[in-house]
Amino acid sequence: MNPISDQDLVLHHYRDGIEPARIAQIDAELARSPELRARREALLRMFAAVDSAPEPTPAADFNGRLWRALEPRLFARIDAAPRESWRTRLRGWFGQPTLAWAAACMIALAVGVGFYAGRRSAPEPDVLAQARADESAMRVLDAYVAAHLRATEGVLLTASNSDSTQLLDGNRELAASLVDANHLYARAAARAGNTQLADFLRQLEPVLMSLANPPASAPIKQNEGLRDYLHSTDLLFQVRATKARLDRSGNRRT
Amino acid sequence: MTDDEARWIARAGEGDAVAFRRLVEAHSGALYRVCARITGDRAIAEDAVQEAFFNAYRHLRDFDGRAAFSTWLHRIGVNAALEQMRRRGRGEVTLPEGDDDGDPIAAVVETAAGPERHARSAEIRRDVETELARMSALERTAFVLRHHEGQSLEDISATLSMNVGACKQAIFRAVRKLRIALEPLG
Repeated sequence: MNPISDQDLVLHHYRDGIEPARIAQIDAELARSPELRARREALLRMFAAVDSAPEPTPAADFNGRLWRALEPRLFARIDAAPRESWRTRLRGWFGQPTLAWAAACMIALAVGVGFYAGRRSAPEPDVLAQARADESAMRVLDAYVAAHLRATEGVLLTASNSDSTQLLDGNRELAASLVDANHLYARAAARAGNTQLADFLRQLEPVLMSLANPPASAPIKQNEGLRDYLHSTDLLFQVRATKARLDRSGNRRT
Repeated sequence: MTDDEARWIARAGEGDAVAFRRLVEAHSGALYRVCARITGDRAIAEDAVQEAFFNAYRHLRDFDGRAAFSTWLHRIGVNAALEQMRRRGRGEVTLPEGDDDGDPIAAVVETAAGPERHARSAEIRRDVETELARMSALERTAFVLRHHEGQSLEDISATLSMNVGACKQAIFRAVRKLRIALEPLG
């Protein structure tokens, strides 16, 4: 019989990766040899010490935190299910993706005209009319920027999580279509006096531009870089928070 | 797999977030335990669990029910834990294939703990954790899956994309390192 090694004893203990005949040999030798029994007991003591380490338990409210982190990603995924592409989704928001820029132009123009009309329509400043015009312009802007941020969030999530070349190609086109719109919304927000929103949209612009013009090689590295950037800047969180704030303010105004 | 779980899986596959949440709640604890043992770090383990569920959701339609859902999910979780460690530079995750011709004991003796450290049982537990943390990620993962999770060598080798022989060697190395660290027990 081959000598019984510690490796044999490990496999014998787990009853895995070892022939039944070898198990029988080891059992017979254990019954006969006190030296082998001592070796086995030492192994079992070591396993017992390993088992004595406390079982890892998650910190309080782990399930709550987990779901809060997962939910937005899952909903983004539901929206991006294979049956409907990102381009199709954007079509839902803007009619056609190629019209995104035109839509943004119209909104920017409407906001501009709204503010201009509010301030210049009467020889004597009518405070109430101006406030109504401002309010109306802001509501329109909020609604469109919220939709724009929803699309941006989807682009960021897809770019940071997807390894599919096809999906990333579509995503790149979407990012490109969002760049100009983002620029115009930033200008409209600045004109409307919402500097916070304007600054935030300007912060998004280089990210969208880099997603629209990715380097030709190493998409995985690019994904990792984007993921790290999103983690370090909380950009995704800010996009969601701003979108939620715009949705809320839009609801308040209506 | 219970009937309820089969229903949740089917509904989650159709995009039902509530059904998926039930699956998350049912499996998050066990998945966290295995990820925490592999990573040795709570925060990394939590991130790994989140990534595992996200990836599971993305590939839910690929789940064919041949293995238990928990087995399928744990396989995703193990790889998510290894990926998180790789990203954070926590431990190498490559393992030489084939038999271990070197003398692993001699290699470990240099870093083994001195006998005075084993005076108390609390220290023994700490030594176990320290030694697990010192192992390569694949040694630790193979050992955790075999010893704590009770998975077969066959399943472990499939999860870690290695052959059964290499998987055995990883476990043997892990056991040797633990024995040396805990030598006064023997």
